This record gives sequence, structure tokens and C-alpha cells, in this order.
Amino acid sequence: MTLNLCVLTPNRIVWDSEVKEIILSTNSGQIGVLPNHAPIATAVDIGILRIRLKDQWLTMALMGGFARIGNNEITVLVNDAERGSDIDPQEAQETLEIAEANLRKAEGKRQIIEANLALRRARTRVEAVNAIS
Amino acid sequence: MSCSNLTMWVSSKPSLSDPSALSSRSFIAPFHLPNSSTPSKSPSSTQIQCGLRELRERIESVKNTQKITEAMKLVAAAKVRRAQEAVVNARPFSETLVGVLYNINEQLQTEDIDIPLTKVRPVKKVALVVVTGDRGLCGGFNNYIIKKAEARIRELKALGLEYTVISVGKKGNSYFNRRPYIPVDKFLEGSNLPTAKEAQAIADDVFSLFVSEEVDKVELLYTKFVSLVKSDPVIHTLLPLSPKGEICDINGVCVDAAEDEFFRLTTKEGKLTVERDVVRTKTSDFSAILQFEQDPVQILDALLPLYLNSQILRSLQESLASELAARMSAMSSATDNAVELKKNLSRVYNRQRQAKITGEILEIVAGADALI
Repeated sequence: MTLNLCVLTPNRIVWDSEVKEIILSTNSGQIGVLPNHAPIATAVDIGILRIRLKDQWLTMALMGGFARIGNNEITVLVNDAERGSDIDPQEAQETLEIAEANLRKAEGKRQIIEANLALRRARTRVEAVNAIS
Repeated sequence: MSCSNLTMWVSSKPSLSDPSALSSRSFIAPFHLPNSSTPSKSPSSTQIQCGLRELRERIESVKNTQKITEAMKLVAAAKVRRAQEAVVNARPFSETLVGVLYNINEQLQTEDIDIPLTKVRPVKKVALVVVTGDRGLCGGFNNYIIKKAEARIRELKALGLEYTVISVGKKGNSYFNRRPYIPVDKFLEGSNLPTAKEAQAIADDVFSLFVSEEVDKVELLYTKFVSLVKSDPVIHTLLPLSPKGEICDINGVCVDAAEDEFFRLTTKEGKLTVERDVVRTKTSDFSAILQFEQDPVQILDALLPLYLNSQILRSLQESLASELAARMSAMSSATDNAVELKKNLSRVYNRQRQAKITGEILEIVAGADALI
């Protein structure tokens, strides 16, 4: 009984194969999914998806979306997804610093909303890179 | 003086001219002045007045231009296939999304939905997202979109509404840069292949504008890919979204989200054509015991930005495909024009060359004759 995971972004399929277990970050906390999980639908927060393939954990940075789990099929729809191994640690760190600087400079409701989103995304990417090492 | 004698002599005794490559009569006229060589077919009867060397250079440069335009056409054709594949790759996402949206809406039929992205407010300010191309040499593509944008701005002004523009693509950027009287919110660069990241950048901007209540409506101006020779600039209302996920035109014509239209580049009778298909995605029911981890309203709140992103990406992809198709047809007609120009120039060149040879022969013969 294996779990089939499908991670979709608007322009490509990021992951479409079998996994043993995943840990998903949702708006209401992290949930772990094992084979034969009860069917649920949940919103996915900007955070990290951990995938276990035979005792090896992989991380993926997800930029918010939706997940549907049922019948040993997990479908995750996100705005953008990046594998932890594909992210350059230095570049992610720089992006994080720029995002923090932007947030400090932000004025007005609109800029604060934008800056907050950018900061959360940058932070997730840095965490995804660090979580492997 | 001596020339004119010679000409008359040649005309009366055609057998004396060198028979190898010349037909004497037609070269009398160019002997005076090489200006009556306008070919009867070309509508623009430009008079080609150059010396032999310049003509040779011109023919060379036209040949090079033709090579370039033909290469550009083939490159654009190859890129259209890639753009099409990108649209096909985007389908699994949008199909799943639409299915889920439908199901959630069924569950929320009776409830009052209060999500920032669907809030309909009285409109005071409108944001226009204008999608243009990055490079030129694509016929009237960029011009059509910009004209449509200007027309819409005039309409909004006439209605007394304020507006701001988000320009995507270098051509639009340079146009709006030169017109400081149009308020532009942000300039974004397009790219060769629109990715989710670019759609995300536009979506972020639009989202923050709408949620912070700076604008009350967001409209998207892009070019719809109708066929290889026809594309249509259209205006779609991006925000506020309808909870059912319908895509609405500015005139209020709404298309159901489940009806997905996609285009396919195929060959019919040896020529490239475009087929558009409308596919209705199957909205299957969820299993009855499906539990929502969060409130259905929260889930809808997470789904709608996804929908916004996929709409923006879709419009970017269609714009790119239209730009490539426009470039293909523009380069194809440029190549045809270059071929015709080269033919005309070669004809003039040959006539001049032969006239020159005739002249030399006549001089020689006249000189020989004078010695006798």
C-alpha cells in the first residue's frame, strides 16, 4: 500500500511518484500523512513539505495552496514549489535579507502586505535548504 | 552624339551585335539612362538608379536580410510549439483546481461567503494589467494591445473613474515610460517562457492593490490566440473573482470555469493550423466522508489565489503564443518581399551589366570601323 503524491504548480508538475509518508504544513498546523489516511481536504500554508522515501527525507518549499488527500492519492496544488536540493543556500539567504529590509522600509497597508508575503516565502526557502543539511 | 549614331546603327543592323548573350533591342533604352527598369508587376514602381557596384551590394544585403527573416520565422515556429506544450502542461493544475472549486461551492451554497478576493465594492479606481511583448518585428501585435489599452483608459475617464496601469513586457514599458501622464503602478518584465514565478509577481501586486482597497477592480488586457493569422486583444475582469470561478468579460459575459478552451497547433493538408477545443472538465463528487481540515471558507480563501495565479499565467501564455504567431507571419511576408526585391534588383543588375557590355563592344567595333 503506497501513497502516490502529486505536486502541481500552474505551469508544471513538480512531483508525481510514490512516497512512504509526508508531512504537510497547513494553516492549522502540521499534519503527517501515512498510507490509508482518511480523506481530507486542507489549505496549505507557505511552508515546507517533507517527503519520506524509504528512510530518506526530502524537503520541498511550498508557496501556499491546497491539498486533497484520499484513497492513497495526495494531490497538492500550490502557487510555486521548489525542491530543497534545487535552492542555492546563498541566494536564498540574500533574498531573505532583502525581504527583511523591504519589510522594515514598507509604508502603507499595501506595501506591508506585499513585504510580508515576500518575507514568508524567503524564510521558507531558507528553511528548506537548511533542513536537509 | 557618337552614342546616338551607334544606337541607330545597332538598331538597323541587329545581326552585327554579339549573338552570345545579348538581344540588342531591349538594351537600347537602358543605354541612355538606367531608369526605366521598373518591372510591371510591382505596385510600388520605385525607380532603381544605381551603378553596378551599388546594385551588387544591395543584392547581397537583401540576400542576408532574407536569410535572417527566414531564420526568425523558423525560430518563432519552434517556439510556438513550446508555448503550446506549456499550455498543455498547465492543464492538470487547472482541471484539478476547477473540480475542487466546484465541489466546495456546492458545500457552501447556503453560507455567506466573505473572502477579500471576492468582495464586490463600488468601483472608484480600476487597475489595468497590460500584457505586451518584449521584442519587436511581430507585425501589429504590440500596437493592437496598446491601442486597446488607450481606448479602455478613455472609456474609464469618460465614466469618471480613476485608473492605474501595470505594464508587463518591454514594449508596453517603453510606451508608458514615454507618457508620464498615464499613472503606472509597476513595470514588470516579461520573459521567453512565462513561469509560475512571473505570474506570482503580477498576482502579488494585483492582490495587494485589491486587498488594501487601493483599487476596486482589476482588469487584464491580453491577446487571445485565435489562429495563426488572427489574434484578438481582449479585456477580462480579474478581480473581484466570482466564488464559482467564472471568467468574466468587461461586458459581463461570463464563461464557466469548467469549460476549458485550449488550442493545438497541428498540420492540415501540409499547412500549419490551429485547432481550438472546448473541453468540459469532469467535476466528480468528492467522497461523502471527505472532511475539511479547516473551515470551508478558509479553504476557499486558499484556493482563490491559486485560481488567480493560473488565470494570469494562462493569459501570459496566450499572449506569448499570439506574439510568436504574429512574428511568424510578419517574418514570412518579409521573406517573400525580400525574395521579390532580390528578383527585381537582379533583373536591373543584369540589364545594366549587359548594357555595359554592349557599350564596350560597340566602342570596339566603332573603333575598329574607324581604322578601316
